[in-house]
Amino acid sequence: MIVAERKPMDEIIDMIAPYEKVLVLACGGCVTVCLTGGEKNAEMLATQLKLAASQADKTISADFDCITRQCEKEFFDNLTKNPDDYDAVLSIACGAGVGYMSEQYPDAVILPGMNTTFLASNVANGIWEEYCRGCGDCALAWTGGICPIAKCSKSLINGTCGGTNDGKCEVDQDMECGWLAIYERLEKRDRLDEYRKMRPLRDHRKDRGKGVRRLVLKDMIEEEPVNE
Amino acid sequence: MSEPVSKLQKALQAGEFVVTGEIGPPKGTNIGPVIHEAKEYLKGAVTAVNVTDIQTAVMRAGSMVGCKLLLDEGIEPVFQMVCRDRNRLALQSDLLSAYILGVRNVLSLTGDHTTMGDHPEAMGVYDLDSVSLLEAMCTLESGSDLGKDMKGNPNELDGAPKFFKGCCVTPCAEEVAPQIIKLEKKVAAGAQFVQTQAVYEPARFEKFMKSIEHLKVPVLVGIVMLKTAGMAKYMNRGVPGVSVPDELIQRLGDCAKEDRQKVSIEICGELISSMKDFCQGAHLMTLGWDHCVPGIIAAAGLA
Amino acid sequence: MPEKDLTSDDVARMDSTQDLMAREWAPCRYHCPVHADVRSYIELIARGQWRAAIDVIRERLPLASVCGRICHHPCEANCRRDGVDEALAIREVKRFVSERQGAAGATVHKVDQDGPKVAIVGAGPAGLAAALELAKAGFRPTVLEKDPVAGGIPATAIPKYRLPRDVIRQDVDWICAHGVEIVTGVDIGGDKSIADLKADGFEAVIIATGRARSRMLPIPGGDNERCLPVLRFLRRTGFDEPVDIGGNVLVIGGGNVAMDAARTAVRMGAKRVRAMCLENEEEMPAFSWEREEALEEGVNFIHRRGPVEILLTGGAIHGVRTRKVTRVFDDTGAFSPQYDDADVQDVECDTVIMAIGQMPDTGFLSGSGLECDERGRMKYDPTTHRTSQEDVFACGEIVTAPGSVVEACASGQRAAKAVYLHLSGREIVIEDDIPEAIGVLPDETAQTVPQVDRNPVHLRPPEQRRKDFEAVDFNFSADAAMREARRCMNCGGGAEVLVDKCAACLTCLRVCPFDIPVVTDVARIDSALCQSCGMCIVECPANAIVARSWDVRGQNDDTAAEIRKLPKRKIVAYVCGHHSSSAAWSGELEDTIGGVVEIYMPSMGRLGSQHILHALENGASGVIVVACRIGADRYPTVTQRVRKRVSQVRDMLAEIGVSPDKVQLVEEASEGRKAMRDAMVEAAEKIDAT
Repeated sequence: MIVAERKPMDEIIDMIAPYEKVLVLACGGCVTVCLTGGEKNAEMLATQLKLAASQADKTISADFDCITRQCEKEFFDNLTKNPDDYDAVLSIACGAGVGYMSEQYPDAVILPGMNTTFLASNVANGIWEEYCRGCGDCALAWTGGICPIAKCSKSLINGTCGGTNDGKCEVDQDMECGWLAIYERLEKRDRLDEYRKMRPLRDHRKDRGKGVRRLVLKDMIEEEPVNE
Repeated sequence: MSEPVSKLQKALQAGEFVVTGEIGPPKGTNIGPVIHEAKEYLKGAVTAVNVTDIQTAVMRAGSMVGCKLLLDEGIEPVFQMVCRDRNRLALQSDLLSAYILGVRNVLSLTGDHTTMGDHPEAMGVYDLDSVSLLEAMCTLESGSDLGKDMKGNPNELDGAPKFFKGCCVTPCAEEVAPQIIKLEKKVAAGAQFVQTQAVYEPARFEKFMKSIEHLKVPVLVGIVMLKTAGMAKYMNRGVPGVSVPDELIQRLGDCAKEDRQKVSIEICGELISSMKDFCQGAHLMTLGWDHCVPGIIAAAGLA
Repeated sequence: MPEKDLTSDDVARMDSTQDLMAREWAPCRYHCPVHADVRSYIELIARGQWRAAIDVIRERLPLASVCGRICHHPCEANCRRDGVDEALAIREVKRFVSERQGAAGATVHKVDQDGPKVAIVGAGPAGLAAALELAKAGFRPTVLEKDPVAGGIPATAIPKYRLPRDVIRQDVDWICAHGVEIVTGVDIGGDKSIADLKADGFEAVIIATGRARSRMLPIPGGDNERCLPVLRFLRRTGFDEPVDIGGNVLVIGGGNVAMDAARTAVRMGAKRVRAMCLENEEEMPAFSWEREEALEEGVNFIHRRGPVEILLTGGAIHGVRTRKVTRVFDDTGAFSPQYDDADVQDVECDTVIMAIGQMPDTGFLSGSGLECDERGRMKYDPTTHRTSQEDVFACGEIVTAPGSVVEACASGQRAAKAVYLHLSGREIVIEDDIPEAIGVLPDETAQTVPQVDRNPVHLRPPEQRRKDFEAVDFNFSADAAMREARRCMNCGGGAEVLVDKCAACLTCLRVCPFDIPVVTDVARIDSALCQSCGMCIVECPANAIVARSWDVRGQNDDTAAEIRKLPKRKIVAYVCGHHSSSAAWSGELEDTIGGVVEIYMPSMGRLGSQHILHALENGASGVIVVACRIGADRYPTVTQRVRKRVSQVRDMLAEIGVSPDKVQLVEEASEGRKAMRDAMVEAAEKIDAT
C-alpha cells in the first residue's frame, strides 16, 4: 500500500495560518490502512488544530470528513461537506489524492497534510516497511523475490557493494543489506546463476525519468464519440 | 597480452610486485600541499597514485583535477570514479575528459552512500554501478557509448580511449562469497586489476586469493596505516569488511606515543611482506602520512 | 451474528443505539418472558444509575419487585457468564434496585386516559400487567379482585419469608399510579356477573383469575378437615389467620408450593414436618434452592411414595398409607406415575397439606356463557386471547399451564394488546417476533475472559429463620449490586463493523485481546464472541466500528456538558468503573475533588485518544485518565493500551505547544477509593501547574 505520514505540525499550522474555516479530509484508502490518514486521524487533527489555534488566541473552525478514496472522482459525491464552503481543505490523503482533489476542486485551496513516503507492507503492528519503489521494471523474478531497488540503499542491480557489514547496510546498522539477503535466498534455491548474470543497465524512463507516467488500458478507456 | 597503456599495467604484466599510493584532494582549492607531498614522498617510491573521488561522500575537489596535477608532476595517477554522484552521461563524459588529460588508469567504485558524508540530504545517483561502469569503459574503448542513435545503432565516438581498468573488493568481508561473485562480474565486465579494501589478516587474505585464482587478475592488497589503537578499534566497529586483530591493537596501544609512527610503519611492512607471495602488489593508504611510504616500502623489504 | 451487515447509512437512520441493540438480543432478554432489557438495566446498575435502571426494568416488567424476589429467572439460566464462571445474579441485582427505588423511585409515564373502560377480573400478575398496558395505551382499566388485597397468589399465598408484603405493594402502587383502578372485595359471579360489567360500561373484559384452587386427591380420608388444601393453608397463614396444624405435618407434593407449605408449617411451630412426593430428589419440580433451604430449616423428605389413603382414628388423622412409586415419567417424559402396590408403608402424621398443584376456579363463570375445556381451563384462542365471547378475553393461568409470575405478566401484556386492537376496531394480530439471540459463547473464548466470583446472597441462619416469617435472605448492598452488575459481559452490546467504512486494515484484529475479529473483504466481529471491551472501536482508523451499547461518541457531548457545569477549574477524570468505588458510580460521592468531574467508563478500552482531545477542545483544563493496575483491568491488555493512548495524546499536545502535562494517567482505579482519589488529587495539581 501507499504509506504517508503526517507532516510536522508546525508546517501544517503555517500552511493553514491564513485560513479560518478548515476541512480536514481523510481518505479511506491506503492511508487509513497505515493508520495515518483515516477518519479518526482527521477527527483528531481537526481537534488539534482547534486547540493549537486557541493556544495562539485565535479561533478557527475545523471540521472533518472522509471519503472512500480521494484518487477517484466518483467518491467525491459522497462528501458530506462541500470543499468549496471552506477557506482551505487539509487533505490527509496521499499526494495522489491531494493532487487529484486540487484538480477536481480548482477553486478550493487544497493543502497537503501528509508526506507521502513509500510503498509498503505492514511488517508488524505499527510498522510499515518499504517493499517497492515503483521503478516500472520489476526485478523480483531474478532476485529471489527481494527487491534490489527498494531493499538496497543504493538500488544496485549487480550485487552487494563494499558497504555490506555483517549482513547490515553501511547506511544504518539496523537495516538489512538487501543484496546479502538476495544472495542468501538465491544460494538457498541454488540459483546463484541469477546473481552471476550481468544485468542490463536500468531504463530510467520506466522509473520517473520520462515525466508523468500513465497507465492506459485500451480495453477500458471510453471511445470519443464519432461524429457522422 | 594487450599492449600496456600505463606504467601500472606494464609493471603488473611484467610480474613486478607493484606498490601504489593514494592522495585525497582537499576540501577547497588549496591543492598545492597534497601534490607537493606526492612529489616529495610518492614519486619514484610507488608505481602509481590513486586520487580519491569525493571519498566517504564528503564534498571536496574532484579526482580528475588531482590526476591532471599528478601527471604534470610526472606521477602516474589512478583515476578513482564512484557511481554515486554522476549519471551515465557524466560518467562517460568524465572518462573521455580524463583520457584527454592523459589519465589511463581508472578504478571503478560504487561509492559510499550520500548519508555517510557531509551532504546527507543529497541524492545518490547510482545510475551505473561498479560493474556497469567497467562495461561503460569497455564500450567507450570500442569506439561507441552506452547510447543508441535514432536507428538503434551504437553511437560512434570520434576518437576512443584506452584504459587500464581496475576495481575494488573486500577480501575480509564477513560474507565473502557474494563479494567474490561480484568480483567475477567486474572482471567479466573488463576489470584488469584489483585494489582491495584494507586487509589486516594475512591468513584470511591468502584464502581469499586462492578462491579467486581462476580470475587471473592482479591484486594489490590494501594497506591502511593504523595510526593509533583507537583508530584500529574504530575500523573494527565502523568500516565494513575490515577486521583488525587484537594483537595489532595491543601493539599500537602498548608502544610509547613517540614510537607510534614507527610501530605503524613496522606493522604495514610486516603485513606486506607476509602477503607479497600470494598477491601482485600493495596499495598503500597512509591517510595523510605520505612521508611514511618510503619507510613502509623499506620495512616490507621491497626497497 | 446478524445476517445483514451494518452500514453507516443504517446507523444514520437509527434513532438511538437501542436500535443497534435490537439487531440481536442477549440471551437474558431473549429468554425473559416479558423480554426485559436485562443487559441495559444491569449496565445502568453497574453505573449506579438506579432510577434509570428501574425504569428500564419496569418498562417491560410491571412486577419488578415481586420478580426480584421470586422470579424463576430464565435470564440467569441462560446467562452466558455461566460458561466463564457462574451466571450473573440478575434477580438479586434487580431486587436490590427495585426495592431501593420502591414505587416512588420509578418513573410513571401517565397518559391521558380517555379510552374505553376495560374490566380486568383478578388482580394477580396477569391482570395487573394487562391493566397497566391498557392504562399506558390511554384506556381506563379497572381491576376487580375478590380478595381484600391486590397481587393475586404472590400477595395471598406466597409466604412472607419469601415475599414480604411491602414488596408487592411497591409494584401495585406503581401500577396504580398509571391510572389503573383496583377494586378489591368484588366477587365476580357472586356480587356481579360478567354481563353486569358490560352493562356498567366496560367495553371489554379480561378474565385473569389464575389458579386459585388447590388440587385435591380423591382418596379415602382426603375430605378430612385436617387434610388441608395448600392454598387455603398458605392464605390463612398469609393473612395471619389461625390455623391448627398439629405437631406432625405431612406435605404431599414436590413443587415449590409444597416447599412453601412445609417451610411455613415449620414456622407455625410444627414439631415434625415432612414433604412426600412421587419424584426423587432430581425429579421433583421444586427449585433446588427451595429444597435445600427447606432441608436446612428441618424439613425432611420422603421420595418416590404416593398416597393411597389418609388413615383416620375417630375422625382424626394419624397417618397416610403410601405405596412405592416405580416410575414418575414415561419414556416420552410425560407425567405418568406407576406404583408397586405390594410395597405399602404408613407414614405417621396428624395433619396433611395437599400441595399437588393448583387449578382454575371457574365456578364464577357458570351462567356467563363462557366455556371451559375438559381440563377445567377457560377456553380461549391463544393467538387472540379471545374467549368464546368476542369482547371477553383471558390471560394468565386460567388459560395457560401453571407458570411463574413473569410468564403471567407476559400473558397479561398480550391480552392487553388484543383488547387494544379489538377496541381500536382492528384485527387482532399480536406481533410476537423478536430478534434472534446471539450465539453461544465457545469455550475457547470463555477461557480468555477473566473469572470473577458471583456475589453471594446472604441468608439468615436456618435456626433463626425457621422461627419467624421475616425474609430468609438479605438484599445486596449497593456495593454488592454494582459489583455483581459489573460481572455482566454486555453480551451483544459489543462492537459492530460498518462495512461501508471498513478499510480492512486489520487494526481491530490486532488490538482485540480475545482474537475475535475476522477480516476478509471487510472486518466482521462475531457478536457471539465479542466481549465488548471497546478496544477496536476507538482504535479503528476509519471510525468504522460502532459499539452497540454505550457508544462513546455520545460521551463527547456528555463530557462537554459536565465541563460547562464546572466552575473555574475544569478537569475531566475518565475513570475505569470496573473496580473503582461504587459510591463514585452512584453519584453519591462525598469526597469529590473540587473542579474535577469523574466520568465513569465501563471499560477503559472504550476511551480513545480522540475522546481525551475532545474533552480539551470542549474546555477542559486537563484530563486525568484513571485506569486500573495491569492485571486488575477488566479486559486483558486494556491498561497497556491506555498507556499508549495517553502517550499519543501527550505527544499530540506537545507538538501544538500545549503542555502534555494537561493529560495525566493514573492507574489506581483498582486500588480502592482512597488511593484512587489521592492519585487523582495529585494528577489534578499537576494539571493546575501547567
